[in-house]
Amino acid sequence: MDVKRRTFMKALGLTAASTVLPGCDAEVRHLVPYVLPDDEIVPGIADWYASTCGECQAGCGIIVRVMEGRAKKIEGNPDHPLNQGKLCAQGQAALQRLYNPDRLQGPVLRTTAGSEGPLTATSWDDGVSRLAEKLRGADGQVIMISRPLSGTLAELLSTFVRSVGGKLFFYDPDSELSLRAAMQRGLGVPGIPQYDVAQATYLLSFGAPLLEQWVSPVAFGIAFGHMRQGRPTRRGRFVQIEPRLSLTGANADRWVPIRPGTEGLLALGIGRLLLTAGKADLPQKERAAFERFYGSIPLQEVATGTDIPLDQIKDMARTFADAEHPLAIGGGAACAHTNAFAAHLAINGLNALAGNLNREGGVRWYPDAPFPERTDVEWLSERRINELAQASAVGRQRPLLLLYDCNPLFTLPSTIPIRRLFTNASFIASFSSCLDESTAMADLILPDHSRLETWGDHVQDGSSPRRGASLIQPVVTPLYNTRALGETILDLTRRLHPETELPRTFAELLRKRWDGLATSGQSRPPASPSRWVQHLQKGGWWPSNSTTMQKLRTSFPAPAYEPAQFDGETSDFPLHFYPYPSPTLGQGRGANLPWLQELPDTLTSAIWGSWAEINPATARSYNIRQGDIVRVHSPHGSIDAPALHYPGIRPDVIAMPIGQGHIDYGRYASHRGANPLSILAPLFDAASGALALGATRIRLEPLAVPGDLVLLEHPGTKAGTDLLSIEKPRRAEG
Amino acid sequence: MSAGQEKTTEARPHRWQMVIDLDRCTGCEACVVACHAENNIRISGAQEAAEGRAINWIRIERYWEGEYPDVKAKFMPVLCQQCADAPCEPVCPVYASYHTPDGLNAQVYNRCIGVRYCGNNCPYTARQFNWFDPHWDPPLQEQLNPDVTVRQNGIMEKCTFCVQRIRQGKEQAEREGRPVRDGDITPACVQSCPSTALVFGDGNDPDSQVAQMSKSRRGFHLLESLGTHPAITYLKRLDE
Repeated sequence: MDVKRRTFMKALGLTAASTVLPGCDAEVRHLVPYVLPDDEIVPGIADWYASTCGECQAGCGIIVRVMEGRAKKIEGNPDHPLNQGKLCAQGQAALQRLYNPDRLQGPVLRTTAGSEGPLTATSWDDGVSRLAEKLRGADGQVIMISRPLSGTLAELLSTFVRSVGGKLFFYDPDSELSLRAAMQRGLGVPGIPQYDVAQATYLLSFGAPLLEQWVSPVAFGIAFGHMRQGRPTRRGRFVQIEPRLSLTGANADRWVPIRPGTEGLLALGIGRLLLTAGKADLPQKERAAFERFYGSIPLQEVATGTDIPLDQIKDMARTFADAEHPLAIGGGAACAHTNAFAAHLAINGLNALAGNLNREGGVRWYPDAPFPERTDVEWLSERRINELAQASAVGRQRPLLLLYDCNPLFTLPSTIPIRRLFTNASFIASFSSCLDESTAMADLILPDHSRLETWGDHVQDGSSPRRGASLIQPVVTPLYNTRALGETILDLTRRLHPETELPRTFAELLRKRWDGLATSGQSRPPASPSRWVQHLQKGGWWPSNSTTMQKLRTSFPAPAYEPAQFDGETSDFPLHFYPYPSPTLGQGRGANLPWLQELPDTLTSAIWGSWAEINPATARSYNIRQGDIVRVHSPHGSIDAPALHYPGIRPDVIAMPIGQGHIDYGRYASHRGANPLSILAPLFDAASGALALGATRIRLEPLAVPGDLVLLEHPGTKAGTDLLSIEKPRRAEG
Repeated sequence: MSAGQEKTTEARPHRWQMVIDLDRCTGCEACVVACHAENNIRISGAQEAAEGRAINWIRIERYWEGEYPDVKAKFMPVLCQQCADAPCEPVCPVYASYHTPDGLNAQVYNRCIGVRYCGNNCPYTARQFNWFDPHWDPPLQEQLNPDVTVRQNGIMEKCTFCVQRIRQGKEQAEREGRPVRDGDITPACVQSCPSTALVFGDGNDPDSQVAQMSKSRRGFHLLESLGTHPAITYLKRLDE
């Protein structure tokens, strides 16, 4: 609790910046792309501001077109090394977060106890002082759950939560914790490294949805285009291994419909073949460990287990071994089982066997970050949340809960008693800018600005060869009486630790930290106002050339392969269930943006709702027509969704997109579709504790009543009106 | 390109064309949102969409090939093909759909009387009719692009190749006293495309990227047999 000024400042990395900063003189201000005052706006002329996208953790650079003081369009920042002027659908739709009609317009307070009472507006002074009062009385029993943050805000928040004796957690259902854990164990890197897809010649993807909302979608999109057609003489081949053909899988040359949960087993088989073929270039000592690991399961067993013919496995292994730049990536469906960690070790080990670490077309890591990185914030796995919730149910402690921009009540199955963590909390404060299922439980909401109204920065992770940091800056004056989270935290700190000397604003804190950037070694010119302006105009700072690479080494032996566990008896629940993050709505975060709701799912053309994908053969055997409602029963509950005949799915699997089924997330998302997460079993990846999305078995009950499936293709007609089926008979006629 | 077309292009300063490389297209739909944002395309909602009234100037068509387990899905972005011999143009009784000197199929909204003959005649279903007035829940209307007209009930609309950006590019070049350079003008969809599947430029400039790429052996046009001479060349997706 007792944090002296010195330690607070030191923790923020500010002690070095003691020189007086020159104020912005007139000339400088003219250059600064700060939000223009009204009298400097020329009607009809667009101003452009560089900033950083916040829709996923990748942190692409954006430029925002502003006219008459209103943001009009978000585009990719051409100077940014990550996305090079490109931007995904979600990044562009982020404009509708700024203008979302359901945004909270100021601080609100629940005056009666419990989550049922009405929310009433209050002032910022009242709201912040109430929270400060609660924090003072919490006696260190403070839990803060936030979406993963980066840069200055992460520093400030982590320092603050520690100063009140609490614990800060990052939580993101998309974080692929099992893959991260495998990377830490196998390669010793604290994140997902760079997969050099652009230079790969044979890409073997074990379920990795790299062309959807995964890790860094735009960067993978750019790399994919290059892999296919960017090199004059060669086109990279691409095989996707997953039980359900995803959007990424549709782009592969070959789709291998593997049995759910056996991705690691297949990797063992391929690794064994690589080793016996003598293709692996390993020191004798390591070789033995690799052989023990990959040789643990006979090939015939691999073929039976994975449901892939042995010849096909041999063919994949041969092609992988002979390719100039083979690359194995795991993710998505391979992250969805209780053995995900072990599977990723086996998949990543293939890169080591192929001698594919630290080189072009392979796996690389760049450790030099421009700012010292925070490594002490724990990433919450679903199992850890389960433990916290269980503990709060039995303990007498009633913690104070702080929430920021995450929605665990939606993204966790009801079998995890997360709701108890909420009902047991002595007080809940949320800083989210919209009501969602979790924030709706809060006693006090101090809404954050939209991304386009706020200051901040984002440090790129070690997958980026030109590893730098991007700046976030306000491009419009705030629409409402909201306040940036950084400002609220500074305000709280001032009230709780009046002795602390703090920067006046979060922007000042950010600026000081960036001025420190220039003096923290790495031969950069000294900080000056004009450099700051340059950073703002460019959208950040990146080294001009690739930074140093960390020499990656695989360390084996790893734990032995283990089969995936499933919940539900095969006799009662004959089918596998696989809820997958929607390519348009993600894990539900995008559901309150009308542009994304109306964006057709590419593979089904479905919009504004959810559906259950079923192999046409399975549908026939159950006598389920397209669009009819099916009831999906798991051992933990049931949901209804219209059936959609989907040719790209194993007959023993039913898949459903995650994202819909909100109860309380604004007018566009609420009471639309069903949330498949709600019926999942509490099964986790053994090593990382990540929720095993595909580990629940189900049975289907056809209800034989039409559902509200809205498809963009063939509205109201039978198939056969598309362009190719018109053209085909014409061609045949000659 | 047919010989007849080449003859007519000589008098034109520009012939705006696009190349869509299906081997690069991943179906991510960044182009679709970019188009909605740039061109003030209305949000229809579930009900109107279910009735077939949703509006998209660009859509990703998906084709299933084969049967499980040897099944493939292929994508094709489809937008107005800006045909040189456009079936939509001669049928308009009020000259709302006409051919611009740059070779675009333009739609003059304030001439349109909503007879929908053009939409009927378009083999690509690229034209879409406004059956309702557009509506944006406040303050979503603040996102509207002031360079692009908002279309009301009773108006036919379609992809313009982002004509406002073309005009801006041309004016900029004129101010600087130089010809339009290849790459100066990019429609919103082209600009956003992560995998660079879409390329835009002046087909009359033999050095432009589109002119080069449209000569590819993989090139084809949509419904070529109809003789509409589209300005969009598709490059075939390669198989293993």
